[in-house]
Amino acid sequence: LVLQPFPLGNRKVRHRVWAFPSPSKYKTINLEEVFPYPEISNEELEEINQFVGPVEKFFSEEVDSKKIDQDAKIPPETLKGLKNLGLFGMQIPEEYGGLGLSNTMYARLGEIISLDGSVAVTLAAHQAIGLKGILIAGTDEQKAKYLPKLASGEHIAAFCLTEPGSGSDAASIQTRATMSEDGKSFLLNGSKIWISNGGLADIFTVFARTEIVDNDGAKKDKITAFIVERAFGGVTNGKPEDKLGIRGSNTCEVHFENTKVPVENVIGEVGGGFKVAMNILNSGRFSMGSASAGMIKKLIEMTAEYACTRKQFNKKLSDFGLIQEKFTLMAVKAYVMESMAYLTAGMMDRPGVPDCSVEAAMVKVFSSEGAWICVSEALQVLGGLGYMKDYPYERYLRDSRVLLIFEGTNEILRMYIALTGMQYAGRILTGKIKEMKKGNVGVALEIFVNKFRDSMGRKVDLGLVGKDGVAHPSLEESSKKLEENIYYFGTTVEGLLRRFGKTIVDEQLVLKRVADVSINLYAMTAAISRASRSISIGLRNHDHEVLLTNIFCTEAYFKNNYAMAELEKYAAENLDDSIKKVAQQVLEKRAYICSHPLERTF
Amino acid sequence: MNGVRNLLRARELSAGRGVLRQALLGRDRPWLQGSSCAQSFWLVPVRSIRSSAALSHSELVHSARGDKEKDRGFRDGSLVPFDELFERAHEGDRNKAAFSRAVELFCQRDVRRRGHIEFINAALRKMPEFGVERDLDVYNKILDVFPKEVFVPRNFIQRMFNHYPRQQECGIHVLEQMENYGIMPNKQTKFLLLQIFGEKSHPIRKYQRLLYWFPKFKHINPYPVPAALPQDPVDLARISLQRIAADLSAKVTVYQLPLTDISDAGKEITQLHIVGIQSPDQQELLARHNPSRPVFVEGPFPLWLKKTCVYYYVLRGEPLPPEEKEEVIDSERNFYYPMHLDLDLDRDLWDDEEFYVDEVVEGPIFAMCMAGAGDQATLAKWILGLQQTNPILSQTPVVFHLTPGPRELQAASDSESGEEEIPQSWHMKQEL
Repeated sequence: LVLQPFPLGNRKVRHRVWAFPSPSKYKTINLEEVFPYPEISNEELEEINQFVGPVEKFFSEEVDSKKIDQDAKIPPETLKGLKNLGLFGMQIPEEYGGLGLSNTMYARLGEIISLDGSVAVTLAAHQAIGLKGILIAGTDEQKAKYLPKLASGEHIAAFCLTEPGSGSDAASIQTRATMSEDGKSFLLNGSKIWISNGGLADIFTVFARTEIVDNDGAKKDKITAFIVERAFGGVTNGKPEDKLGIRGSNTCEVHFENTKVPVENVIGEVGGGFKVAMNILNSGRFSMGSASAGMIKKLIEMTAEYACTRKQFNKKLSDFGLIQEKFTLMAVKAYVMESMAYLTAGMMDRPGVPDCSVEAAMVKVFSSEGAWICVSEALQVLGGLGYMKDYPYERYLRDSRVLLIFEGTNEILRMYIALTGMQYAGRILTGKIKEMKKGNVGVALEIFVNKFRDSMGRKVDLGLVGKDGVAHPSLEESSKKLEENIYYFGTTVEGLLRRFGKTIVDEQLVLKRVADVSINLYAMTAAISRASRSISIGLRNHDHEVLLTNIFCTEAYFKNNYAMAELEKYAAENLDDSIKKVAQQVLEKRAYICSHPLERTF
Repeated sequence: MNGVRNLLRARELSAGRGVLRQALLGRDRPWLQGSSCAQSFWLVPVRSIRSSAALSHSELVHSARGDKEKDRGFRDGSLVPFDELFERAHEGDRNKAAFSRAVELFCQRDVRRRGHIEFINAALRKMPEFGVERDLDVYNKILDVFPKEVFVPRNFIQRMFNHYPRQQECGIHVLEQMENYGIMPNKQTKFLLLQIFGEKSHPIRKYQRLLYWFPKFKHINPYPVPAALPQDPVDLARISLQRIAADLSAKVTVYQLPLTDISDAGKEITQLHIVGIQSPDQQELLARHNPSRPVFVEGPFPLWLKKTCVYYYVLRGEPLPPEEKEEVIDSERNFYYPMHLDLDLDRDLWDDEEFYVDEVVEGPIFAMCMAGAGDQATLAKWILGLQQTNPILSQTPVVFHLTPGPRELQAASDSESGEEEIPQSWHMKQEL
């Protein structure tokens, strides 16, 4: 397998960010990227269905989630079963003994695996991040040496980045690797915390500070990635952490004390660990969409069963509007999540190394938040029952909470989504904005005329519907809404760039809205694209899909309009100033500072 | 005229008894209610005559005996009347009980409360002396001295003009003194004022203003100083330092406790307190300080806590040279999102909400302390203590820039108000 050039500096790669203005057609979307909805061939489908059957059977028959949660440990038999199914090497190429699944197929299996949070996290920590470094940046020797054993599950991998004083800040990494005098190995020293699989793993991807000499001869500390075997010695781990959810997954501290790592075990190059880490993190996220969707689909089944059998006032729960609403919400979320996840996976499977990190981040944010809301609503349907430990629902709630936190918190990913998009838009628009700021009458006039036309109610046509439209006519309303949102979002982004320029990095409240709108736009695009395909090829229940898409698009359209209206206002009007002020006052005193309502002054 | 005066005197003398006073009040009321609306303030003497005539037959003999002492304050016409009433009232301590006794003495003496304005003025003056200037009860007691219902206007003309101006003014004085000491009137105060002056009278309006503004100003200070400052110099230093540092993470360390001991040789050893404060941020700043550049111990600087002045010292560095100031954000800093954008666009004017502030460049402050003495030896102990947590300090030259500080000031105030000094240390001064 010829190694694709490692996408170093992913910001240089052309981003296919739908919502942000594209270079060819400003304020439009790259239709060819998202329409038609990606498909897999019949052979591939058959192949994946062959996997799905046994895995589903295994999970329903042999994985005792309740016991795993109670004992906070996955029993060895279960692990062995997972290994036998090949689930430890899903994305490892077949030549190294893995299943060699594409991203789409990986996402499909992820749906089933997510039925047990602990197992899903154990597997994800192993292959989505743990061994990903070797897979995407390792040398052929490293791959040949490590991947076969990792694929069979004989060795388990872990990803060691977080430290007591370092989350997302590379500068605060304290673990240090010093080169030995003969230059053949590094001595690794330091501690890592909250390492998933830390207690089980035999192979660690460790990030440590190394001293390197610059081109101009200055010494500098840079991050380097290493493959560390437990067998190298000096690797110890603390006792497993007691967690809220995903209790069966093993999370603990890992300490390295004078661990001798040969130079051959450096991933990428010495000092190039930062980019390795970034790429691993960026590539590991997309599968969360299908995983969440899988979980919600299961949850809908279980709660629908309850709602259709329990009776109150001689009426079934399912006859109550407020209960029905919850099922609609869950169905819509699951549908959109699934659409986004498989669209992203499909794009990632295209030839070349397409950089879909922004889309993956969008999928992660949308699906993790959707999952949390859906689980909470499902619990609401169940009432008191959902709160009881005898039933599995509270475990779903606990397990799904971590989705918003790990693999980059949603807050951090929103910054990533918005800033990457802004950077991209900025490249295209800088010239124009500068012209206008300089007082170029022509450009200013154009902007004014556009604004005027917008205010008169412009008909936006980006080619989604109409004569040569790519979306199905049944989705015309939704597509129009998406087009309009995209057009105005382009205008809004341009306005933001003009207003904030490069200082927008510090405007987190603005960026959050930008991220929310782009996530919604991507979600709308994915849903419309998928529903169009379903109608066109006549999939079962495609009318249901149309309903779901229309519901989602209408809601998202209003949310987007609200967010964009806020974005066009200044901080004093859109509450940003007040929000910051309240936070400042609370944080200054580090407490809630209002007087008690019973307090009096006279 | 003489007869009238005698009558008056006789009535006044007879008023010393509680029983009588009640009887009189009971009698007074229907009479007051029955009085015509045309009555105005200059009619009062007549009223007194009438009422005193009513009781003259019973107690005249008894009161004629006279209690010379009782009304001396009123009679001797001194500029500060009723002073000796207070002098007499305190047998031993000047406290609330003694003050209340004085007020009661006055009240018992005369049912008409003749001279109450002078008495109230005297009482107000005496309050700080008795230490009751912040006691709401006492103020209410003083207001209680006013005769009730006499000064309430009864018709529109009285209401229109300033009815009993001196009494109203006196009532306002009482409220003003409360205001000056920050005492919030209560329901009883209002009840008394209503009884004495009636609705919409000037004292009532003053009361209303107090009640409007006082609650608004009660918590106006975001950095309140505790009502009673601790007497222990270490505790005082602790709250002062926390006040200056204004950082909740800052940690106060007591490097040395005040201590007086007799050594084996019989020599007295006194150890002065050294209390310091340092926040984690300051610690970090100090850790990044270039040890080849000196740091400075400077002081003393004053800090006023209400009427107490304390002095503190700072450990500071020189302003950083411009080349060291700029912190370049490494492009490989954040694993998750870009820390800066590669854009050639600046912030627009309309979103630039920062004011232009002419900033004076100052060096970083690394730590602060308060000590029992401001000499170099004592402060060196502080630096020594700081070295435990800031190892870099042992390699950094420390320069002491100490001004003589408050010593001269101290000497001057010594001679002026020696006894008002808080004796525990020379650098804590109290001004009254």
